[in-house]
Amino acid sequence: MGTETEARTPSGSSTRLTELVDFFRTRPRLKKFAIAGPPYGVLVAFFALPLLAMLVISFQEGQINGPWTLSNYTDFLGSATYLTVVWRTFLVTVQVTVLVTVVGYTLAYSIVRFSRRTTLLLLLVILPFWTSYIIRMYAWINILQSGGVLDSTLQLVGLPAVGLLYTQPAVMIGFTYVWLPLAVLPFYASLTNMDADLIEAAKDLGAGPIKTFFTVTLPMTKNGVITGVILVFIPTFGSFITPRLLGGTNNIMIGMVIENQFKSAFNWPFGAAIGIVISAVVVALLVAGARSGGNLFGGGERDRS
Amino acid sequence: MSSPTSSGPGSSGPVAAVERVVETHGGSLARVAMLAVFAFLWVPIAVLVFMSFAAGGVLSFPPEELTLRWYVEFLGNDTAIDAIVTTLQVSVPTTVITVVLATLIAYAVDRYVFPGRNALQLLATLPIVVPLVVTGIALVLFFGLIRPLIVVNGYPAVVIAHVIRTIPFATLVIIPTFLTFDRGLEEASKDLGADELQTFLRVTLPNVFPGIVAGGLLAFTLSFNEFVFTYFVKDSATTTLPVYIWNQIRYNVTPEVNVISVVFLLVAVTLVLVAVSLTRVDLLARN
Repeated sequence: MGTETEARTPSGSSTRLTELVDFFRTRPRLKKFAIAGPPYGVLVAFFALPLLAMLVISFQEGQINGPWTLSNYTDFLGSATYLTVVWRTFLVTVQVTVLVTVVGYTLAYSIVRFSRRTTLLLLLVILPFWTSYIIRMYAWINILQSGGVLDSTLQLVGLPAVGLLYTQPAVMIGFTYVWLPLAVLPFYASLTNMDADLIEAAKDLGAGPIKTFFTVTLPMTKNGVITGVILVFIPTFGSFITPRLLGGTNNIMIGMVIENQFKSAFNWPFGAAIGIVISAVVVALLVAGARSGGNLFGGGERDRS
Repeated sequence: MSSPTSSGPGSSGPVAAVERVVETHGGSLARVAMLAVFAFLWVPIAVLVFMSFAAGGVLSFPPEELTLRWYVEFLGNDTAIDAIVTTLQVSVPTTVITVVLATLIAYAVDRYVFPGRNALQLLATLPIVVPLVVTGIALVLFFGLIRPLIVVNGYPAVVIAHVIRTIPFATLVIIPTFLTFDRGLEEASKDLGADELQTFLRVTLPNVFPGIVAGGLLAFTLSFNEFVFTYFVKDSATTTLPVYIWNQIRYNVTPEVNVISVVFLLVAVTLVLVAVSLTRVDLLARN
């Protein structure tokens, strides 16, 4: 950027810094260590070790440093109530993921293919994402509560009030709202990165727009789709804010159970065990999703050619 | 997903008709869909902004009269102002620490081959993949476990948690700016007689700076909004704005929350606009 010529200007005050740089230049391994070491240290100390600590504590009884036991796991996995909550959480998460993927992909596709003001539209998508999660939930409380904005609007046009707050649809709406921008970004990135000539080629070969979409566009953007799905699935599965604020007591999800163990029941090892279980579920689904995702779209494409 | 594709070229009756409709009206359909989704995304925010001027407060819509009363009340509410100050006391150091660490990661990954290089990249990305509530409680447990050795609670605990939360995002934004930087410029600088430090300060840094600032702004915004980690790790003295709102919503809703929402919105809009002017929007989408 034209700074090459300025680089000759000697910067007098930095002699000690220069000495330091020279010190590291003659010791390349030490230099690598000085650069990669600090972030490594922080991530190991405050991310990897805490997860390890959680695993250890999940085998303790009642409190940190309690006697060793498997009871946290047997209590959790042996309880029909908890397993029902896990199953319901899974169902809600799958529904939310499908909903967000369909709506988000439609939006990303429309922006890429049918609009010229892509930067502006993308901004309109991501701006809501950068306001507080809690605030966005609060906005939906305003809208969905009985007598709220939705009900008032319905009554204005002569329809009956619905009072959606504290129902499953409210939870679905809340999740869709918070994750839509997150999912649109990878969809958008993969759609802009794909080779548009392939779409033209498909058309020249006689494929209609729908066929082109399912045989060319979707397979070509599958990595973006998988990324988006992962970005929606994981936080939904672990969430406690949305079901607590919008779902009330009838729509308990497993994240709420964990929160409860930490904030009310104070049975931390039990909460840790649930955390381990849901992490295991998430990791298993990620691995399965990444594998079948490849076959789901890529395989379909190969069948046709 | 695969059902429309499975209709082979033979069954072209109704399929062909649908294809023709999409062919001719695709653009209009897409515009209608866009309009609907943008309404979905922005109506709730418009409602919040509108309600912040509503005299009757939360429950009345449409409001009978408009007022600035809740803004005045908000400015006079020490607890809310304290929450904002606390939030900034967390977000600013978090941003500085995160930017330094993320830049080091980007530099190391871009320049060096060393044992554990892939592991470093993985470690920097994983906090996105592990559910927030899991990492949040893991940190609480960890701080509890090391308490006999060292006490980490309240403010430092919150900052550490925020750094872990923001590192992946800052790293994802900063790494591409290093990867796309033309290293021929560095060679040219050295050929012209600049030493390593001068080259870094006058050639490398100015080129990657926009990415670093963008990463920092995103880290700040994330930290400013962060709730889950804060909620688990904090002590009673460290109440950030999202935690304050959570308490308000759960126990005693006041129309003031609408005003705070507008504050959040303004902060977010400003910072994201600056970030976007410095980098490409879709860089935020790279994984």
